[in-house]
Amino acid sequence: MFRVGGTVPLMDPTQATREVFWNIEYTWLVYVLMVPTLAVFGWGFWLKIRRWRAGQPAIRFDRPAERLQLFLRNAVGQGRTIKRRYAGVFHTLVYTGFIVLFLATTVVAIHHDTPLHIMKGHFYLIFQSLIVDIFGLFVLVGVALAAIRRWISKPKLLVYTDEASWILVTIFVMALTGFMIEGWRIAVTDDPWAAWSPIGNLFALASDPLMSDAAMQTGHVAIWWFHLVVAFGWIAWVPFSKMSHVFTAPLNIFTANLDGYGGSLKTIDFEAAERFGINHLGDFTWKDLLDFDACTECGRCTDVCPANTVGKSLSPRDIILDLQGLMHKRGDEFLGAVDGDGGNGSGELLPIIDQKTAVSPEALFACTTCAACMEACPVHIEQMPKIVDARRYLVMEEADFPEGMMDMMNSLESRQHPFAGTQFSRVDWTEGLDIDVMAEMDDPHEAEVLMWVGCGGALVERNRNTVRATAKLLQKAGVKFAILGREESCTGDPARRVGNEFLFEMLAKGNVETMQRYGVRKVVTSCPHCFNSFRNEYPHFGGRYEVYHHTQFLDQLLESGRLDGHDAADGSNGSSTITFHDPCYLGRHNGEYEAPRNLLAKVGGARQVEMQRSRNTSFCCGGGGGMAFVDEPPDQRVNQERAQEAVDTGADVVAVGCPFCATMLDDGVNARRGDREVKVKDVAELLWDAVGEPGQAAP
Amino acid sequence: MKLLVCLKQILDPDVPARDFQIDPAAKAARRGGANLVTNIFCENAVETALQFREAATGEVKITALCYGESSAEDCLRKAMAMTVDEACLVERDGNTNPDAAAVGRVLAAAIRRLEQDGGPFDAVLVGRESGDWGVGQTGGLLAEELGRPALGFVESLQPGNGGVTLRRQTDVGIEVAEAEPPFLVTITNNEDNVPRIPKTRDVMMSYRKPLQKLSLADLELDSEEIRTGSSIFEVEEIFIPADEVECELAEGDTLEERVDQLAKRIHEVVASIG
Ligand code: SF4
Ligand code: SF4
Repeated sequence: MFRVGGTVPLMDPTQATREVFWNIEYTWLVYVLMVPTLAVFGWGFWLKIRRWRAGQPAIRFDRPAERLQLFLRNAVGQGRTIKRRYAGVFHTLVYTGFIVLFLATTVVAIHHDTPLHIMKGHFYLIFQSLIVDIFGLFVLVGVALAAIRRWISKPKLLVYTDEASWILVTIFVMALTGFMIEGWRIAVTDDPWAAWSPIGNLFALASDPLMSDAAMQTGHVAIWWFHLVVAFGWIAWVPFSKMSHVFTAPLNIFTANLDGYGGSLKTIDFEAAERFGINHLGDFTWKDLLDFDACTECGRCTDVCPANTVGKSLSPRDIILDLQGLMHKRGDEFLGAVDGDGGNGSGELLPIIDQKTAVSPEALFACTTCAACMEACPVHIEQMPKIVDARRYLVMEEADFPEGMMDMMNSLESRQHPFAGTQFSRVDWTEGLDIDVMAEMDDPHEAEVLMWVGCGGALVERNRNTVRATAKLLQKAGVKFAILGREESCTGDPARRVGNEFLFEMLAKGNVETMQRYGVRKVVTSCPHCFNSFRNEYPHFGGRYEVYHHTQFLDQLLESGRLDGHDAADGSNGSSTITFHDPCYLGRHNGEYEAPRNLLAKVGGARQVEMQRSRNTSFCCGGGGGMAFVDEPPDQRVNQERAQEAVDTGADVVAVGCPFCATMLDDGVNARRGDREVKVKDVAELLWDAVGEPGQAAP
Repeated sequence: MKLLVCLKQILDPDVPARDFQIDPAAKAARRGGANLVTNIFCENAVETALQFREAATGEVKITALCYGESSAEDCLRKAMAMTVDEACLVERDGNTNPDAAAVGRVLAAAIRRLEQDGGPFDAVLVGRESGDWGVGQTGGLLAEELGRPALGFVESLQPGNGGVTLRRQTDVGIEVAEAEPPFLVTITNNEDNVPRIPKTRDVMMSYRKPLQKLSLADLELDSEEIRTGSSIFEVEEIFIPADEVECELAEGDTLEERVDQLAKRIHEVVASIG
């Protein structure tokens, strides 16, 4: 089957090699052409680096060991890319193929241009011939799969540009012509090692009966130069196309935010800042600017975005790409602005917020800050913090925001809670429960933990049951806890997410001061938004606490036996099926997926089912980012989309761990459950139902 | 042009029902845990003045004036954050609930003092009524004290030919009037004078702007007289109306019977109320 060399006596594999420039004259031309190629390539990247350097400072080369780990996992190991099966397969084929072909080219260069003649023997046969051939085939197949997706199945998440198509065509041509020249060389030279290059050999075998040796030889020269010109041209084009992600993406992953999404917003120095928030490229950090250049246009962020899913104009992918476009097209003006001579030569700074682009106020204010985009992005681009940066500009510099957010902010300012018009005070829910309030205690230090109730827990009727259940569980476990009562203020989370950093800072500082007064060290809260603020944001203002979400704390109480889980396993809930909705600010933002599930496993033997999108791919309830205070158009409601998914699991209880999720999903489930009885309940309520004293079933 | 807006700080009218308490002896609401806010119609007045300034071609200067506790400084700072130019607080020493006539006298004295220093105000804007007592007399009594013509329930001020064009709400519709300064208006709300949220930089700047403080003595007013001397009404008693709900179910075996019973009871109840 395989064509084997005719001169059998020379078949000594240790001597196997091939002539590098077989059949090629004027080889010096290769080196001559390489100069402009590399020059353009270098210039292209120099332009990029210059733009990034114009950004504001950011510390992203610290903690090298962690960075290297991330780099190995998600850049080298393609950890996130392979999460989507189809794209993962074709990208891995092309990506590994490129690496092997690049190594092979390096081997040729070393062999030919240095005294180290390494391309021979078994290494030549196994790596340089067989493996390279196989990986070359990977590239062909990978590109073909990508082309099928781009030209035939056409999923919505892609950006359909000519550039992207040309990239596929050129890569395909390079790989194909590579095999052609290999095949013709094998055929004409009667290569004794042909069997080691199966694809090239296949080409040789196919050509042999059709073409004379002379024709193959001529064809070889022509295609060889063609291959070289395409390859060099392609290399020079890399920095100007999305192929630059080959370099920018690994760099972006290495310099990614290591602190989790919950800590990804920047603080502002209000005394020094020239502008609050961002409406100009030069106000971004260099890492933000690098983000723009690292985008691979894969569209995964927009694909998972809850706002986009329900038909709103927000598309994180297009925000990144529009800003990238702005940075490229207006690059010099942008640099000019950074250097101090004003954006477009007139002293004006180019705005990034623009009604006509993806960065419109309407899109910006649709974001729930759920961070699904960041979790989906294979190259760790940080879309959400940029959205918040732009919102900050609109809110603080322009005082321009949706009406619902205005009422919320007004209320936060004058009443320190976001629920304008609530009929409850912060302590109404404690009625009949005998709960210590720090201000009224002789020695507040006696309290082992501060139970942070949160506005959503104390002031929204539906959630008062949750905080009551939590408090009663703590009491049952004998935990010495107290609340701040009327001294509690909103943590400022809703203000921060909508972009009112100033208000957030005021509230945060106030709370830190109050908590300092009572020597608070340990905090447990049933609101993941408060949890996130304490855990990731308050340390900036001097508030350092041991922080627990109530599910974590209760889980520990059960584990340690302080809370008796014995009754819980009595099967009293055995008939029910529970599905848990991961709150964005507990799960994705802070990495806690297990505690609530552990608790639910103890809820009377109920069966747990998962929604299609759960854990780190959980779909937002629609209430984050201040959106709980905005009236969504009836046909664009994120909560209903999520509720449908919950209802579709067949569960009769949707378990939640967040007061905002509770109200959003309550509404959503009621709209979508049809005739079925589906309840939305906090994990603490369910646990109390299971372990509470007999006769106290309803807290 | 120079505009003056009067502000009042009140107990948050949005205070949760259970937090609202009354001190029967003092015949006043107890502050308790409630917040203090600027009376909403006063904020509408600030917004109306700001919109006038934005529409005017010439220079317009806006001053905010408040007679209140030192905590009322917050209201004035907020007005300055909304970009009012100047603010003045007349400190109210312990007089918890001065009536409208007393307030009118104090404000008039303060206005005369401010005019002495900085020239006359073309227009004085006062909120229609306050969200705590809702008496709605301060504007009229202040106009009387100042001896200026007044118009109530105004929703907007626009620069007109030579004077100011006013739109006011009446029972039968909107009345448009031309006014020749100086005058006083009381401001009511409409969808266009919703108070703006200040820009953050303006909030920060508001703390750097000077705030003039005057005492009753500075205005040569006798605080005892203000407290007692001008009472136009007397509070006899103050209480929270009891909200009693009685629930009764219409009885009957069939729907018809229940409906009949319901109708009968409605007649009886209506008759008993008279
Ligand atoms: S944070 Fe969530 S809502 Fe905002 S852009 Fe990303 S995916 Fe969309
Ligand atoms: S930002 Fe990330 S997820 Fe979104 S399109 Fe670009 S590379 Fe893909």
